[in-house]
Amino acid sequence: MLFGKECKTTVKFTFRGGTHLNEHKETATLPTVRLPEPRTVSIPLSQHIGAHATPTVAVGDKVLVGQVIGTVEQGLGCPVHASVSGTVKEIVTRHNAQGIPIQNIVIENDGERTLHPSVKPWGKPLAQTAPSEIIEIVRKAGISGLGGATFPTYAKLQSALGKVDTVIVNCAECEPYITANHRLLLERGETVITGLEIVMHALSVTEGIIAVEDNKPDAIALLQKAVGDNPNIRVCVVKTKYPQGDERQLIYAIKHREIPAGKLPADVGCVVINAETLSAISRAFYRGIPLVSRIVTVTGDCIKNPQNVRAPLGTPYSELIEFCGGLVKTPKKIVSGGPMMGQAQWDIHAPVTKGTSAILVFSEEYDRINTYHSACIHCGNCVTHCPMHLMPNYLAQYAQARRYDDAAKMNVMSCVECGTCTYNCPAGVQIVQYIRVAKGALRMKK
Amino acid sequence: MDQNQNPAVKAPELLTVSPSPHAHRQVTTASVMKDVLIALLPATVWGIYLFGIRAALVVVLCVVFSVLFELLTQLVLRRPVTISDCSAAVTGLLLGLNLSPTVPFYVPVVGSAFAIIVVKQLFGGIGKNIMNPALAARVFLMMAWTGEMTVFPAAYDRVALSVDAVASATPLVSLKQGVLPDASLSELFFGQIGGCIGEISVLMLLVGGIYLLVRKVITWHIPVAFLGTVALLTFLFPQGDLPRLTFMLTSLCSGGLVLGAFFMATDYVTSPVTPAGRIIFGVGCGALVVFLRYFSGYNEGVSFAILIMNALVWYLDMCTKPRVFGKKRREKKA
Ligand code: SF4
Ligand code: SF4
Repeated sequence: MLFGKECKTTVKFTFRGGTHLNEHKETATLPTVRLPEPRTVSIPLSQHIGAHATPTVAVGDKVLVGQVIGTVEQGLGCPVHASVSGTVKEIVTRHNAQGIPIQNIVIENDGERTLHPSVKPWGKPLAQTAPSEIIEIVRKAGISGLGGATFPTYAKLQSALGKVDTVIVNCAECEPYITANHRLLLERGETVITGLEIVMHALSVTEGIIAVEDNKPDAIALLQKAVGDNPNIRVCVVKTKYPQGDERQLIYAIKHREIPAGKLPADVGCVVINAETLSAISRAFYRGIPLVSRIVTVTGDCIKNPQNVRAPLGTPYSELIEFCGGLVKTPKKIVSGGPMMGQAQWDIHAPVTKGTSAILVFSEEYDRINTYHSACIHCGNCVTHCPMHLMPNYLAQYAQARRYDDAAKMNVMSCVECGTCTYNCPAGVQIVQYIRVAKGALRMKK
Repeated sequence: MDQNQNPAVKAPELLTVSPSPHAHRQVTTASVMKDVLIALLPATVWGIYLFGIRAALVVVLCVVFSVLFELLTQLVLRRPVTISDCSAAVTGLLLGLNLSPTVPFYVPVVGSAFAIIVVKQLFGGIGKNIMNPALAARVFLMMAWTGEMTVFPAAYDRVALSVDAVASATPLVSLKQGVLPDASLSELFFGQIGGCIGEISVLMLLVGGIYLLVRKVITWHIPVAFLGTVALLTFLFPQGDLPRLTFMLTSLCSGGLVLGAFFMATDYVTSPVTPAGRIIFGVGCGALVVFLRYFSGYNEGVSFAILIMNALVWYLDMCTKPRVFGKKRREKKA
């Protein structure tokens, strides 16, 4: 039944709306390189939604790789680990990209990469591990969604317990430029599959689907081979279209289930996990290594040698940029994440966090295409491309006129801020930004 | 390239921080308008070839004065000058193509002024007008100078600069009387007849229309619904005792129908944004055209039909709202 007509690997699955972007995935052919040990790392004690961690080390302490340096006593959140071994130099407050002050633990790297004694594999085989134990392993390893949204993974699993019948691996990687997942699939595809098995076991689910966009045929072939004739796992090829990697669109494309507004994937029996997150779960389970590094795509027209780099969390962007040959043009904008939903950074020394899937460095020339603005000409592009089937032009107009209630009636709250409308707007209307204003105002009212 | 030899490019003190998205499709209002200008080129060239230098002058006057009036109003009203987006040029060209080559020279000037100043800028400029400026101006001119506006030269009647044209009956007049026009169907299709500068050659207009479709400037909904409705109605209810098919094809190829369906009804500002809305809009235009051609005092109904539908655009948008992902079509309001 579950393997019925819903999903065959030969058919490409997709959703209505969305847009095909200029991919810029030049880095997909280059192997991932490990960053040589950075001089210092600066690890923020809050890298995602949930409570800030409190430091458990003091200035001057020696720390080892994988050692817990910050914990969350209550509420949503996971521990923070040292990503290098060395000495705690200082604990400072820095402003993150949103301008929120956050405590950072700065560690001077001794370059030894000595592992902390707590880093050891979970001894028991998977079949004898209880779901609650797996969730605890995931929490202790500090794993959060590595696709960019960085929701703590243990909480996601917990809320999905007993509710889901399908685990979907998100390897769509629909944002332009980013190839971190693609390279991971090619280089360490098996860890994604073992991670998937762990999660399926934790949720007692028998259906695992690996969703890959059809622009990665090499990864698809490799995965299909790795999956072999495992009856519970299969590879599903989805059409290359933005935002295919959005949970809602992905579940709809594969399972034809529509998440009702305001609900979560678990409410339609699915849980969607990013490929690199699964790889991290696999490492935490089989080797005991918490989340202390991640793959970052460093690219953009200012970077001399764009490539994927595995970097310890807390590495300053500037060090990664330097490692990739430095700058060839004067940067105007540095974006963390993809160009569609990523965050523009104000600081070139900002640290790599769990959510940094890419560092894009763009020059003035690249940015110039974003500077044309005129009035909305009612062309309807935003309407036909909106994956949530909204009417972004009217939402933006209502927001401009501060008629937020009218915007609410037109379901402004359903907007996922994917940016497709603004991308396609010939008039250069900053539609998403107006929508964000309206959403913010409506939230304040509540 | 020489920058490549210099790896020591420094990051600036200040970086730009702006909200996402940081990428943009390289289509702008200006590029869209330029595509429309290109698409109108074949029909324009054909009209000038057929009617000579005077047709060229009428078109040029319309374009130049439209842009000029846009510039002047924007300067006077202290609005940002937006003539570089080419939208005024498109309006001017469309107006010119909707005029007879024999009109006195003040007609294009007054028409441009009406289109740009009254219909476009006084309503708030690009994107804010509720009627298609070129069509509104054409209707205005029709009322003000009915005689001058309805004298058409015959094909290849290269009108001299001083007009003394012999009026030729347009196919629409014949059709209205329930007889077939003198021109054969192929003459109508290829455009060897008299009429307004830009509306005569169906072939040239189709070439332009297909260009717009291929470039994704317009979608198929409006032209197909518009022309389809006209085809269906004229096929079902031919006038006189003409053979159905001939009557239908002649109706489709006569007057400003094809020009209207591909270039006027599809004007972004004055057409719906949803696919369903566009289809209803096209069907409405088509039905009104047939109705006006059959029952009104005018021979031609395209301009009026589109203008009437223009007024309904907002309602069509609201009635054809797509169902939002994850919501029921009709959400019960608590
Ligand atoms: S940002 Fe919102 S309104 Fe715009 S396309 Fe995405 S979901 Fe639709
Ligand atoms: S894409 Fe831009 S110009 Fe077109 S309707 Fe939407 S907001 Fe208006």
